[in-house]
Amino acid sequence: MNAIKVDDLHRTYTVRTGIIRRSVKHVVAVDGISFEVQPGELFGLLGPNGAGKTTTVKMLTTLLLPTSGTASVAGYDVVRQGQQVRQRIGFIFGGERGLYWRLNGYDNLRYFASLYHVEPDVARRRIPELLELVGLEDRADEKVEGYSRGMKQRLHVARTLLHDPEILFLDEPTIGLDPVGARQLRQVIRDMQQERKTILLTTHYMFEADALCDRIGVIDHGKIVALDTPEGLKRHVSDLSVIEVEVYGIPPETVDQIRNLPFVDTLAVEDRDQRQALRVQTPRGSEAVPDLMASLNGVRVGRVQVREPTLEDAYVRLVSGVDGSG
Amino acid sequence: MIRLRQLVRVALLSAEMGLRHAATDAFVIFAVFVQPLIIAVLGLFMLRERGGDYGMFVVVGSGLTGLWSSLLFVSGNAITTERWTGTLEVLVGMPTPLWVVVLGKNLAHVLQSLGSMVLAYVAASLLFGYPLTIAQPVPFLISLVFIVISFVCFGLLLSPLFIVNPDVQRFQNGLEYPIYILCGFLFPILLLPGWTNPVSYALSPYWAARALHAAAAGEATAASLALDWGLMLALGAAYIALSAFLFKRLLDKARRDATLGFQ
Amino acid sequence: MIRSLTLNTRLFFRGAYLSYVALFAWLRPVTYLASKVVGPLMQILFFALLGSFATGADTIDFYVIGNAVHVVALSGVFGVSMSIGGDRWNGTLPYLFGTPANRLAIFVGRAIIHVLDGMVGVFLGLLWGVLLLGLDLTQTDPAALALTILVTSFSTAGLGLMLGALSLITVNVMFVNNFVYFALLIFSGTNIPIDRLPAWMQAVSSGLPLTRGLAAARAIIDGASLPAVSGLLVEELLIGLGYILIGYVFFRWFEIQAKRRGTLDLL
Repeated sequence: MNAIKVDDLHRTYTVRTGIIRRSVKHVVAVDGISFEVQPGELFGLLGPNGAGKTTTVKMLTTLLLPTSGTASVAGYDVVRQGQQVRQRIGFIFGGERGLYWRLNGYDNLRYFASLYHVEPDVARRRIPELLELVGLEDRADEKVEGYSRGMKQRLHVARTLLHDPEILFLDEPTIGLDPVGARQLRQVIRDMQQERKTILLTTHYMFEADALCDRIGVIDHGKIVALDTPEGLKRHVSDLSVIEVEVYGIPPETVDQIRNLPFVDTLAVEDRDQRQALRVQTPRGSEAVPDLMASLNGVRVGRVQVREPTLEDAYVRLVSGVDGSG
Repeated sequence: MIRLRQLVRVALLSAEMGLRHAATDAFVIFAVFVQPLIIAVLGLFMLRERGGDYGMFVVVGSGLTGLWSSLLFVSGNAITTERWTGTLEVLVGMPTPLWVVVLGKNLAHVLQSLGSMVLAYVAASLLFGYPLTIAQPVPFLISLVFIVISFVCFGLLLSPLFIVNPDVQRFQNGLEYPIYILCGFLFPILLLPGWTNPVSYALSPYWAARALHAAAAGEATAASLALDWGLMLALGAAYIALSAFLFKRLLDKARRDATLGFQ
Repeated sequence: MIRSLTLNTRLFFRGAYLSYVALFAWLRPVTYLASKVVGPLMQILFFALLGSFATGADTIDFYVIGNAVHVVALSGVFGVSMSIGGDRWNGTLPYLFGTPANRLAIFVGRAIIHVLDGMVGVFLGLLWGVLLLGLDLTQTDPAALALTILVTSFSTAGLGLMLGALSLITVNVMFVNNFVYFALLIFSGTNIPIDRLPAWMQAVSSGLPLTRGLAAARAIIDGASLPAVSGLLVEELLIGLGYILIGYVFFRWFEIQAKRRGTLDLL
């Protein structure tokens, strides 16, 4: 049985603007996605901001009703059997909110434990364990309003484990954390996977998905554009090499020109202070370099590098259109 | 199956949390303690002209205004406050139904607001120079128990009502005095035109006021108390049923319109 | 020099505009209805009924007029003090202090719309009294009444200005404002005749706005002429000016402190 099964899920938002002249806009957040997650799997939903990751997770955690399609978690339908779903899942949306800031960390956990129907004696034992797991055992008696962002995030993680759920939904768990905190949190996530929990993680950090996930679903504009293991996704672009060129002040027309070159699959431009970094994916590899330099005529060029594609390149290719047109 | 014991535990913990939050909130302190005290002072001065044993009458009446303020502003805003702290989403995603949490908070607020009656009692006693007497203390105290139950149920109704229809919330401030008037807190409803009586009868605070005033003045009979207590319970049950309907509607709508999160 | 003048003028008008816009947030129909029409009506009804229960149905006019005129406190206390203190939250406070010569003008200018708003509220209240509670205005000199209401609204706004200036340094603004609003119910003769109050409370009454204006209003509605109440009105006016003065002193003191400590932008 699948831990999570999503079948052609859709979610459209209706946005009403204006007071005098009302206009109604329909925003499609999730546009027919389907996937399955096996028990014990760490599944990643990878996509840019606004791709529909959070919306998908909210539907799976019964906080949002789908416009159409079905989904089941632990075998229970998320719309009609929400109560059973809620008993078996934990979720984090993170951020500053979602905690009672006038209470201290310990009391927050005590309260949420009761909401999760954890027996008091079990809670009394488990709360200190969880606080130690997330590294908050020294700060548990301080009011949450004094916690840093990272501490609040870690308290969220502790909260979500109180009732020892089989399935966890972590929505961008490391966002806003400093590198050390983020690394600590990723280790906690790995530990949870060791305990054979099913985890669905959303992120827009490529390296995080690569490092943690068994399988990744790449989502963009509400659709799944690829679903595979990290290795599988990289193979998706194995026919390509990536040429990285550092340029100084490239005009937009030249960018378009390059994009339309026949041997260029995709072109990504990244701004770095005074410079731009062009990443060109091309099947021709290093042979394409001279032609590329020719089209950069007149632009001051810095470093040039040819390398193997990474997951990030696969991602760029996927979210800029499967056929590779920039 | 969710065990009753667990739900009770949630309610009690919610109550504890509600008390902690509300105990230090300046707005709550004003609405629940200071304002009723001012009304008590006004009542004592004004009704002095009337003569008779008006001391306890004012204490009961002003205490009830404190109970109502607490319901109207604090309990009424319970869900909105949760949304503002971002915890509403978390609560809805829990296996515990939301109304249990709200019930616990209502309990805390109602119990806290009983303090306003105590405060008025102390103030009036000081003013008169002697402690005021309650003619029928036992029926008085039992009435208070019924009042707590029925007010908690009433509060359960207000919270989703304010959200399902946001326009009603704009009139929140304007709903204070009408309840004092219709429920006979500080003057009998026979001063009002007859067509308003059915509205009074449908409000449990009216029966609460009847019971307390009668017990304080020594005019309560077994029959009158049975009527008052019975109606407080019956209306409480009706409020619960109505609120169950509203909660479901509220949550379905919120999940459909994506309004659970902080806007 | 010219540039700084035009800059400061622009800032001044922008600040004033912001405060008017803030007030007009109240003017959304449902909100206005709820707070300026229904709210006062409920207060009038409650105290009129309580009053007639207390002292007899023939005394109901006392309470109706009292609570109708008390409506000036709604805009005078809340409206005015929020229009000063509101800058603190909008972050526009620095602009207020940037214009050297116009501080008083800004300070007082903001109150004007609330004075007018208060007058409208009182007339609405009196209208409710006539329509629902049998208030008899046939003996009233309309001009005299209008002047009385204007003066009363003005002096209550003066109190509001002082509270507003005070709110720049206190934390529990709403607590103080609410307390004053309700205290006026007790001390100003709205629901309790002044001579029934103990001596120390009467002393407080005489230091507050609304007390004399209300007495004048009651007299006028009873048929008195303007000259008969002119003494009261003059005193009411002076009280208002007194509060404005005190408020202005607070205002300047706050500015000096803030500039000295560099805390002007801080909440």
